[in-house]
Amino acid sequence: MPRGVTTATATTLERWGLLASAISGRALQVSPGEPGEPAWTDGRAVFVGSDLSAREQVDALSVQASLLAAGSLHPDVVRRLSRRPALARRYLALEGHRALASVEHVLPRSLRSLIDSAVAARADSPAASLACARSRERIADPPESFGVIRARRLLATIDRSDRSPSGARQARREPGDPVLSELAEDEHDNGAAADLFASPVGGAGALGRWLHRMLEAVRKIAGEGPPGADAPTHRTRAATRSGGNAWLWTRMTGTAQAPGGEGRGTKYPEWDVHRRRYRPDWCTVHELAPRAADGTPLMASDLLMASDRYGLRRPLARLGLGLERCHRRAQGDDIDIDAAIEARVEVMAGSAPDEAVYVESLRRRRDLSVLLLLDTSGSAAEPAVTGSTVHEQQRAAAAALTAALHAIGDRVALYAYCSRGRSAVQLVPVKRFDDVLDTLVMRRLCALVPGAYSRLGAAIRHGAAVLEQRGGTPRRLLVVLSDGLAYDHGYEPAYGAADARRALAEARGRGTGCLCLSIGASTDPATLRRVFGSAAHATLPRAEQLGRVIGPLFRSALRAAEVRPRVSARGGR
Amino acid sequence: MAGDGARAARRDGAESAARAARPYYVPIGNEEQVFKAAFRRGKSVLLKGPTGCGKTRFVEAMAHDLERPLVTVACHDDLTTADLVGRFLLRGGETEWVDGPLTRAVREGAICYLDEIVEARQDTTVVLHPLADHRRQLPIERLGVTVDAAPEFCLVVSYNPGYQSVLKDLKDSTRQRMIAIEFGFPPAEVEEKIVAHEAGIDSQRAAELVRLAQAIRRLETAGLREVASTRVLIAAGQLVAEGLSPREAARAAIAGPLSDDASVTRGLAQMIDVYLADPAG
Repeated sequence: MPRGVTTATATTLERWGLLASAISGRALQVSPGEPGEPAWTDGRAVFVGSDLSAREQVDALSVQASLLAAGSLHPDVVRRLSRRPALARRYLALEGHRALASVEHVLPRSLRSLIDSAVAARADSPAASLACARSRERIADPPESFGVIRARRLLATIDRSDRSPSGARQARREPGDPVLSELAEDEHDNGAAADLFASPVGGAGALGRWLHRMLEAVRKIAGEGPPGADAPTHRTRAATRSGGNAWLWTRMTGTAQAPGGEGRGTKYPEWDVHRRRYRPDWCTVHELAPRAADGTPLMASDLLMASDRYGLRRPLARLGLGLERCHRRAQGDDIDIDAAIEARVEVMAGSAPDEAVYVESLRRRRDLSVLLLLDTSGSAAEPAVTGSTVHEQQRAAAAALTAALHAIGDRVALYAYCSRGRSAVQLVPVKRFDDVLDTLVMRRLCALVPGAYSRLGAAIRHGAAVLEQRGGTPRRLLVVLSDGLAYDHGYEPAYGAADARRALAEARGRGTGCLCLSIGASTDPATLRRVFGSAAHATLPRAEQLGRVIGPLFRSALRAAEVRPRVSARGGR
Repeated sequence: MAGDGARAARRDGAESAARAARPYYVPIGNEEQVFKAAFRRGKSVLLKGPTGCGKTRFVEAMAHDLERPLVTVACHDDLTTADLVGRFLLRGGETEWVDGPLTRAVREGAICYLDEIVEARQDTTVVLHPLADHRRQLPIERLGVTVDAAPEFCLVVSYNPGYQSVLKDLKDSTRQRMIAIEFGFPPAEVEEKIVAHEAGIDSQRAAELVRLAQAIRRLETAGLREVASTRVLIAAGQLVAEGLSPREAARAAIAGPLSDDASVTRGLAQMIDVYLADPAG
């Protein structure tokens, strides 16, 4: 922010953003420019001098927004204006009027006086205006309120957004494919992710990425994705969207073999954010036989008793959603014959009858299955913010959630995960969906010792697959209890975060709600956001606070999953 | 087209002075012809369109033109088959069957309008199937009878495809039994006329409101769940007719209902200030 601009003016200017967006028909911000400087835009924001009066500011931002709306700042045109300020000025003098006239129907009446219809009629397209500007015709200088066109700044933004498919073009809300745009959120901030583990020249460092880009094989597949990949089952509607080599992997590689089969393990793809495509069959997930701790019966029963220590039952019980026919209601669809006869008998016997003689169908039946994924990688052994280790906090939360959900009657499973490279992602089924919740489960939970690394994406994909196959209810929820540090061999944080986020979006795309809880960990919120993306997530210093947030979190995760399948299904039609 | 409609509306009004006045509806395309053709052929009609764009008013106008009574049911989450078809109630020691609105319409040959059909539970909408196709029958399971629909009976359902929820989609089997008519917001000049007529304000004021709405409809910023509909414009116009300044009216009737997000509401208020003139200026 330039000197001399107070925060107050900045906020006032920001409020014009809605007006600018309305005129330009895309998301456009308004930011304070240097005092005394003419207004200009870089395609994402309009910079308006903060020393102008409100009226002048509105005029200036309307012109710039109209230019964007009318396509006057298309890169092809702007490139020709680069380094030629005089031409840019002549072009603006013509094109400004034409652009304003083209959006005249949405301009406030006060602004219509800016339009000189004679000038506006001189050209009917940006190209025509440009041709006219290059000719020797006399063109009056543009009014001061038109500002200037800063070709180089515009081009810089366009280049940036070309490199990232989630750029300006996606700022427009395209109703067609929110799933893909969400998957494309990968691009946002990988570069910013501080990479503590990788060497600067290796695959993931800034230098390494640059080298990677320079040396990358330039072969691009124009048609339907990388060779050997699944043929896409549908086309997306948003054909102009960039990032065309990003594919939503809809088929589960390991579905032929039921997940959970021990032995050879189940293979899952992994999202390679640097190449923007999946690596098929990249990770192998093994389910290990759980081991029960024997020396800690006291602690196990203590955990089992924890079922309602954190007050989870009440908020979770409200999430019951299926229809159930309830008898003996005061109103309802049908007469409850038994109750009606009893009431009649009572009347005949001379006592006051019970009026509740109807059958009503109410949303009370539990139709939710939940799979909890517990992070048991080495980082969980670190001391938590509050004293005990992160692992202990997460374990207590997992026990409480499992017990509470089980007690309400939901189907619940608890898996612990860690990994040692891509061929050894290990999941320990502490409680499968069909296991009874007993002290054995709690002893298994107590036997978990944090160690090794966490290949979060593969664990999520396996958890989601188990949930879809074994859950058996229309509503499914995957809860990840993790400190948010995704790291393994060849799975450095930025790459891992992108893969985990992708895995979560895939699960959501198939109608499974995702919820990420980080308990007691000191991971900063920005990192968590990178890993968990737009999935519902929360950071709690201690497990005791779970009761307060769990209700809204579950609800928002379930709602997000409900909305999605319809959207992706629509894209396929 | 719009002018024709207005003339048609006036002519109708003159001819049937005895009847109640025709609800004000200005056709945008051929929707009136489509509806009347479907009605004559006993087809069910599906109206699609954003909230507040005139679906309900259209049905009212059609019912008036076709001289049929209109039975409207606002569908909601807990609407059951019994709510539509009817139920047994206990009166003293006897059970008594009470027709639901749908059964009544089927028997009397009324136009039955199910507003926001997707809000109803899916097990409820299935009851419409035999009614919506060539059979035109309403089986009443609890009575053990099947009621044949009167020849003038017409089923009209409306829904807003904008609300996305997997639980709230219309079944393909239901929608394929319908004749679909799509609604959008009317073109600016038609909308001006509608707002001016409905709210009772002059056309210049109406034009300003419509211009503001056109701008808001271009907004794709997150935070706006819905854009300004014709209905909120009319509401704002009515407040203006009651003596409020255009800015006050628009803030109360347009900015307030559209968003709860404080920053979006502030942005809308700024837009209102730019688009709507002060009473002084």
